[in-house]
Amino acid sequence: MIELRNVSKKFANGHVALNNISLNIDNGEFVFLIGSSGAGKSTIIKLLMKEHETDSGKIIVQGKDITKLKRAQIPYLRRSIGVVFQDFRLLPDKTVYENVAFAMEVTEASAKEIRRQVPIVLGMVDLSKKSKQYPHQLSGGEQQRVSIARAMVNGPSILIADEPTGNLDPEMSWEIMKLFNEINLKGTTIIMATHDLNIVNKMKKRVVEVSDGVIVRDEKRGGYFSENQNL
Amino acid sequence: MKIRTSKFFIREGIGSLRKNKTMSAASISSVIAALLVIGIFFIIVLNVDYAASNLESQIEMMVYLQDGLSETIIASMGEELKSVSGVKDVQFISKNQALMDLNEKWGDNAYLLEGLEGDNPLPDSFKVTLINPSEAGSVALSVSSISNIERVVYGKEELNKLLKATYILRVGSLAIIAILIFISVFIISNTIKLTVYARRREISIMKYVGATDQFVRGPFIVEGVLLGLIGSIITTILVAIAYYYSSNFIKNQMIGLLSIELMPMKTVVSSLVLLLTVVGILIGIVGSLLSLRKFIRV
Repeated sequence: MIELRNVSKKFANGHVALNNISLNIDNGEFVFLIGSSGAGKSTIIKLLMKEHETDSGKIIVQGKDITKLKRAQIPYLRRSIGVVFQDFRLLPDKTVYENVAFAMEVTEASAKEIRRQVPIVLGMVDLSKKSKQYPHQLSGGEQQRVSIARAMVNGPSILIADEPTGNLDPEMSWEIMKLFNEINLKGTTIIMATHDLNIVNKMKKRVVEVSDGVIVRDEKRGGYFSENQNL
Repeated sequence: MKIRTSKFFIREGIGSLRKNKTMSAASISSVIAALLVIGIFFIIVLNVDYAASNLESQIEMMVYLQDGLSETIIASMGEELKSVSGVKDVQFISKNQALMDLNEKWGDNAYLLEGLEGDNPLPDSFKVTLINPSEAGSVALSVSSISNIERVVYGKEELNKLLKATYILRVGSLAIIAILIFISVFIISNTIKLTVYARRREISIMKYVGATDQFVRGPFIVEGVLLGLIGSIITTILVAIAYYYSSNFIKNQMIGLLSIELMPMKTVVSSLVLLLTVVGILIGIVGSLLSLRKFIRV
């Protein structure tokens, strides 16, 4: 479970990114985080990843207040959260297999575990046949699937995706969403920031809309626009 | 740290060295440039110090004996002198030997000594060499307490000056080498910073998937060690070749002019290997860590 309690964040330049927001996300939920650019979606993600410090309020992830985490403990938080980015962030000089294995090497997993686990996640994202190829040899959708495999290889309970379909055409985007749905059905909590109204409207998941640093809408099975706007 | 992790560090470190060939070459070049300066300076210091030690060891103490001592007494005095702590060697010079030496020394003017054979005014003496010339004062004191000794003579003033000069030389050169190392670390950390900058993306990805700072540093440290090691090997070879030719040149040019004796090649190279390897690796590691500092905070 993830809980944000009265969280505020102001940047050095004076911009108030988040203004006293509170949000509860249960285990196994699928949440879309929407809102225009600069509304605060990315800030929420960065605070969850502990990339930025929270100014005030509490952020509780799996029962622990991460705002109190020491620097040395941050890596262990990140291992329990998988992340997927809009620009994939794969290492260009490593193969698909190596890119995924890399996330396990970092946790000092044994060679045996790596050899067992990597093929499983590559199978899950349907890239077993391309494990020896390099990122530049793959399509955008395939690259994003590699990054999903990398995010999932350590078996995180939470998957955070920041505009994962932002660089993909609609067809590829749906492949990714199908994958997210499967991952979610297996029990992983998914938080996805997006601008893609088609996806949000068709998936019928929980929608949290952020605007000017505050949560303006939180619907259990929402669309990209609120009901009255849709009319 | 697990063996597996070290293997990963080594694999990644070597891998990135080979992948970023241009930057690696640039870093190695700046290591070589820095080590060349350090190496050449070190060789000069070694040789000056070597010359100074030669001079120091030439400092000898003359122990003049009273006249008319029997051979057995002289022999027992010799034994006694040898047992004084700080004494390296004792050589007896009889009064006849001393006169002959003087004859030889004076050469054309030796006729002045004619007629002295019958009534040789020179005393019997012991020539004492010391283990450590700086102990000459205390050795002289112990020696003068032995009976039947007329006088103990050593170049007190000259010795003190020499000891002071070599001390300043040693401390000063250590300080200069330390400064040179310090400067090199800065130059090299700046070069490595460029390679780190090119790989900041990789570093941030590592941090995102949950790598500890220690883990991110590992491959860079390995890379730094390798850069330093390669740089120091090349520098050692360059400096050794240069020393070989320049010492030959100096020998051929200066012979007869000055009695300069250069350190033997073997000694120079073995201390050079040690110094440059240690300094090279140190520069590589510290340079890597310094340049990583900024990028690891993700």
